[in-house]
Amino acid sequence: MLKKAKKERLIWLDIMITLLTLEVMAYFYYGARAVASAGLCVGVSFAAELISLRLMGRRFTADDLTCISDALIISLMLPVSIDHRITAYAGIFAVVVAKNVFGGRRNIIFSPAAAAYVFVLTSWSREALMFPEPHTRLGIMEKPDVLLHSASHAFNITGRLNYTDFEILMGNFSGPAGSASVLLLVISAVMLIFRGDISAGAFLGSVIGTGLTAYLSPVGYSRIDSLGYSVVTNMVLFASVYIIADKRIAPQRDLFAFFYGFIIAVTAYILTLTAAKENPIIAAAVLFTPAALALRSLERKIDTELEAEKRREAEKVSGETEAEAGKGVAESHE
Amino acid sequence: MNERRESVLAGITADNAVLSGLMVISPVIICGDTIKNAQALIWAFSIITFLSVLISSFVPKGLPYTVKVITYALISSTVYVPVRAAADIFYPDAIQRIGIYFPLLAVNSLIVFQTEAKFFRMGRLRMTASLFFYILGFDAVMLITALVRELLAYGTINSRIADVDMLISGLKEPFGGFILLGLMCGLYRKLRSVMSRGGSSAEEGDANVSGK
Amino acid sequence: MQMYLVNDIIAFLAANMILSQALGTSSLFIAAHSRKNLVGTAFCILLFTTFGTACAYIIDSALPASAAEFRLLLYTAAVSVFYIVLLTLLYSAMPQAHEKFRRYIHLSAFNCAVMGTLFTMSEKADGDSSLRSFGEYVRFGAEAGLGFIAAALILTAAYRKLNSNRVPKSFRGGPAMLIYLGIISMAVWSLK
Repeated sequence: MLKKAKKERLIWLDIMITLLTLEVMAYFYYGARAVASAGLCVGVSFAAELISLRLMGRRFTADDLTCISDALIISLMLPVSIDHRITAYAGIFAVVVAKNVFGGRRNIIFSPAAAAYVFVLTSWSREALMFPEPHTRLGIMEKPDVLLHSASHAFNITGRLNYTDFEILMGNFSGPAGSASVLLLVISAVMLIFRGDISAGAFLGSVIGTGLTAYLSPVGYSRIDSLGYSVVTNMVLFASVYIIADKRIAPQRDLFAFFYGFIIAVTAYILTLTAAKENPIIAAAVLFTPAALALRSLERKIDTELEAEKRREAEKVSGETEAEAGKGVAESHE
Repeated sequence: MNERRESVLAGITADNAVLSGLMVISPVIICGDTIKNAQALIWAFSIITFLSVLISSFVPKGLPYTVKVITYALISSTVYVPVRAAADIFYPDAIQRIGIYFPLLAVNSLIVFQTEAKFFRMGRLRMTASLFFYILGFDAVMLITALVRELLAYGTINSRIADVDMLISGLKEPFGGFILLGLMCGLYRKLRSVMSRGGSSAEEGDANVSGK
Repeated sequence: MQMYLVNDIIAFLAANMILSQALGTSSLFIAAHSRKNLVGTAFCILLFTTFGTACAYIIDSALPASAAEFRLLLYTAAVSVFYIVLLTLLYSAMPQAHEKFRRYIHLSAFNCAVMGTLFTMSEKADGDSSLRSFGEYVRFGAEAGLGFIAAALILTAAYRKLNSNRVPKSFRGGPAMLIYLGIISMAVWSLK
């Protein structure tokens, strides 16, 4: 039990390191407002966690700090220019409605960050999908004069991205604060997978699902471009690392997790292709939560069955050994 | 005496039809987004339910369950006819907005199922008082939900502009209704448990489990 | 092919009577006291919506527009007939199954899911005359019933977690189910 708690805290620490790196990148592109927005979301989420745990009669422990990583994920998915109040509402929604109402971190159903993002998207869709240009350095309370559609929007409509590969790799294109830094996301994904912090199966399922469908039914004219751009736009990479591969939600067996990630990715890609939906992967991840729950329940049944079988075999072996021993004793008596 | 009064008031205090029984929730979720809609629904629900249950109480108790349920449904569907005609005169706009949820009020579970389980086990006078408070309980929830949703989603109170500069448009959608009603149910239950135990306890089950 | 399927699934969920119209939510929660109940009720509601829409077609075709207030009464009468026929058939053909399944039938006969389906179809047909055919009515009824089954399955998947001891006592069960359905409905709404 203690080992498990320790492992959970290490996972949280690893995830925090990668998220903070993305936050630094957001500061580099958008200035102090990016940090303020993240800080506000973290502060509000933390306060909401403290208050709601108190109302539930529970004590705050170090494990409850997951609310901070969830808050950082939310702030990295939102535009830097978004009203601070929306960021605060998102933090409260994630902690109270999407998590603690269902019993908190020990009984997680939805990814709190994903649910909060969908809440923002459905309530303030314009604010959530308009972004400042990278390198528009904003003060804490400053708002940009010009807001643009994201690069993902342009790709969904035209099938093209007017950025160099280097710019795409560095995340130097209009989009959410932190989910555009492709190179950092790839490094984070590799690190988190090797440290066992995220579900490798779900991550690979999501990336392969998007890539494969994008190659088979390209958005634009070129299959290769479609494959590459589809993975880096619409928050696919970010969601694959921090939402779909979240070990609290994804199935535990890699094969099941792969299938889960694959289905989400294929659904999201098809919605992008046919309806030009922006960032549908997050809502698809929320929508497929019942599938994740069903798969996890199936895993539990399989585990119970396997354990029962092992126990039966062990009993059989011990029974045989005892019988043989009994026979030996009887023979020696004779 | 107190217990008796409590059971009559149960529709508001301990056993609210919507918040505790989770009955008649679809109109609250879908139509309870403005006070105008709420008023029309409250009016219709109150009259249909009150008259239907009262008339249904004369149905012989010895009839088979299925026959009784069908009779209750037919009675409320008949009561709906004049109520609908009156609503067309008094709330013509709201009737348009409420749409299919208006007739659905007539087959709500409070009339069709709870009559048998709750009201017809009481004497007629007590039943009438209890029914009144059950209806009042629904009306209160409908009004509160509509007030909160209209204020936060449209920035108005009964169509008058209120000083709200950050609107949560999701609250006017069905999912907003689901979430708000879920939160209200939880708060109602919490308040009820705090009041019944003198506010001494937290969520006992949770505290035990959280430590495990 | 796959693309049409995904779009159809999203459209199916977006038109789901529970997720988009909250119809039959109370019945879903009553049935949700056990997983077995949930599945049994869902299948009974499928029967009622399919048969009900068939009757609704006949009623809508015969009823003059000036007597629209009587539509509910006629729908109720039609559903009542089916209710009695179903119980009688089950009792005479399979008395043991009757004991087992009659509560699902009782729960499914009069509720917003069934009546809401009939009224929704009637309203749709009023707006688009091409939908006023027996086939369209029955198809809509069957789809609505299947939608209820889909919602029941979505709820069943989280049933254990929503009723767990870990959920705060005030939110355990119904309130948690409402919020759970609300979040799923929100995701569907954002994708439609």
